[in-house]
Amino acid sequence: MKISKLNIALLGNPNSGKSSLFNHLTGLRQHVSNFPGVTVDKKSGTILLENGVEANIIDFPGTYSVYPNSSEEKIVINILTDKTNDNYPDLVVYVADATQLERHLLFATQIIDLGLPMIFVLNMIDLISEQGDILDIKPLEKYLGVKVIPVSVRNNAHLDSLTHEISAASQQIKGLEIPIKYIFTDVENFAATRIQKSLSTTSLYTAKVIAHHYKWLNHLDEDQKNKIKTITEQSAFNDLNLQVRETMDRYNHFAPVVRETIKVAKREKKSLTDKIDDIITHRFWGPIIFFAIMFLMFQSIYSWSSVPMDLIETGFASVGNLLTNSLPAGWWTDLLVNGLLAGLGGVLVFVPQIAVLFLLISLLEESGYMSRAVYMFDIIMRKFGMNGRSMVALISSGACAIPAIMSTRTISDPKERLITILVSPLISCSARLPVYAVLVGFVVADTDVLGIFNMQGLVFMGLYLLGIVGALVSALVFKAILKSENNSFLMIELPNYKPPIWKNVFLTVKEKVTSFVVEAGKIIVLISIALWFLASYGPGNDLEEATTNAQNISIEKQLSDQDRDNLIASYKIEASYIGHLGQWIEPAIKPLGFDWKMGIAILTSFAAREVFVGTMATIYSIGSDNDEQTLRQKMASEKRPGTEINVYNPATSMSLLVFYVFAMQCMSTLAIVKRETNTWKWPIIQFIFMSVLAYVGSFIVYQLMT
Amino acid sequence: MTIQRTLLSLLPGESAFIEKLDVGISTCKLLNLGVLPKTKVTMVRKAPFGGAYYIKLDGHQLAVRTEEAATIILENQI
Repeated sequence: MKISKLNIALLGNPNSGKSSLFNHLTGLRQHVSNFPGVTVDKKSGTILLENGVEANIIDFPGTYSVYPNSSEEKIVINILTDKTNDNYPDLVVYVADATQLERHLLFATQIIDLGLPMIFVLNMIDLISEQGDILDIKPLEKYLGVKVIPVSVRNNAHLDSLTHEISAASQQIKGLEIPIKYIFTDVENFAATRIQKSLSTTSLYTAKVIAHHYKWLNHLDEDQKNKIKTITEQSAFNDLNLQVRETMDRYNHFAPVVRETIKVAKREKKSLTDKIDDIITHRFWGPIIFFAIMFLMFQSIYSWSSVPMDLIETGFASVGNLLTNSLPAGWWTDLLVNGLLAGLGGVLVFVPQIAVLFLLISLLEESGYMSRAVYMFDIIMRKFGMNGRSMVALISSGACAIPAIMSTRTISDPKERLITILVSPLISCSARLPVYAVLVGFVVADTDVLGIFNMQGLVFMGLYLLGIVGALVSALVFKAILKSENNSFLMIELPNYKPPIWKNVFLTVKEKVTSFVVEAGKIIVLISIALWFLASYGPGNDLEEATTNAQNISIEKQLSDQDRDNLIASYKIEASYIGHLGQWIEPAIKPLGFDWKMGIAILTSFAAREVFVGTMATIYSIGSDNDEQTLRQKMASEKRPGTEINVYNPATSMSLLVFYVFAMQCMSTLAIVKRETNTWKWPIIQFIFMSVLAYVGSFIVYQLMT
Repeated sequence: MTIQRTLLSLLPGESAFIEKLDVGISTCKLLNLGVLPKTKVTMVRKAPFGGAYYIKLDGHQLAVRTEEAATIILENQI
């Protein structure tokens, strides 16, 4: 008897309704963490058994068999072959789709052979009766030797009896007499018995699975691996052929059982799914419908989130004002308002976009549409080293790269996922818009060409296209450089369409928002505080001198209080560390046509791109950064020192625009990339390659235009 | 030696029975997804930009790439 809490594992194929059952059993008593050392979500929660004892329940990634094809499936096999693992289950609740019973039995029989106690949940029985099929669980129960419970998670049918059975089963977990459902060949027998002896694993079948996978099983040490290697070589253990043989053999055994369990009624020629797919995956209409859906999604992210985003921004601004006015002036009030509060605001402002995107994505995912999109665009995205699913991530990057990068979890191939993460921020996001809006007027006049096109509109479009081309070309480069561990597969199920389960949608949105706020939030707040420090302090007493100078000038010129404060702010930022930094990098950015003022704006833009406008407003001592018109007038009249040349001439402005298209100026994105890749390596590489791209791009543009 | 007919030889709407799979890296995954010998397979359509096929098996649908489809060998009788 274990003293620690009982571990119950939910296992089953993808699309078995396993996660819905998990959500039903745990409700809000669930949390997401990572399996040790990998970025695979571990969803766990607690359930209260009938005897009042709490048990751990873990929702394992959907798995087809003990022969894994993705890193997520490998985690599952790693745990199931390692009795000492913290996540090793005491009891397996296996979930199977009754309408796909044959396929879903494969993994179930393998788990039984691994020696794990099991309750077999036969889900979606509502569909069985809908189709007019007749279900009899007795033959199945007899074959498996475990309790079979028919349920419908969607309709909440028979779920009480499930909780009852779990409680009963956990009371007395049987010491298993290991019913091997698969008859070994001589080779397998030879290898497995020896491995079993050498590792003292209890089940013979576990030993066979280890013989297949010992190279990547992380609970084996080098010594054990060498021993197993010798054994498999001695027995001429052919990994691939034996996998195929075992799978075929199992299917042959349970196929008759499936026929006895479910008496299939005559099917209509075309199901509803067939009819929907005739249109939705149509060679011509399919892509058009896809782009229409993506366009609506893009629009919704923009429009639905703009009001709450404004509310968050103004809310934080007024709280900041309130604190500034009511707290005694001092460095810590400043830190609280301009460092901490600004940082928090910078995190929370993304919440509406993340919530809206994941609401829509999980609706598409739940209904079954997403796999159709993957099927249609697989070939195109594969040319760029990505996957059909990357299409959705790249399009949502047009609103914001953060939720887009979070959505790449569904890409199972690690290389395809990584490339998608790396190039997504090159797609122009909504935060670049204000920068484009301020600068585009300096590049071309607001005139019409050919009577229909607006010149500025064309430049805008060109900037977006430049981002897309940049993303695709970078993807090609990464495709060539990065090594692939897995072989890439398509082979996906196109599940029958079904209405989404709202509880699942709601929990996905909640989980994504929480993980962003908690994980990325920590990093963003820290960087905000660092930026606040750099902009508020300067070397020696530079700041005091700057303030006195500004005050003297404003007395001389008899400026109003408002103008005086603006002038002081402008002098102060120039004298601060970040101002010095801006002047220090001026030689480096001069070939791009930038002066130190732009240097400061580029540095502060690292917090977020839209900060550019605010910083420019401070430098040009305009109080409110909302006043784009005044800012633009100030910028337009700015001359290079000692000349009559406009600072914001077309060449410089275009160069600055190109810089903003390519540069990685978003700490929130970097923070989320760190979280999603579980290392600082990739955000650093991403920052460097995007900066190089921005620098070279701006250099070329500026040199060509002057 | 007769020429082996693969899934790729089916036109949209045509069906056939699977004889066997050419053993390779994708075989196990295909078996996991229910692509089994003696099963009836229907070619539904080709992907809009090519490279993949929409196929239908006993009560469920799959998408497979061209290379994956090429390993699915069909019985000669329809």
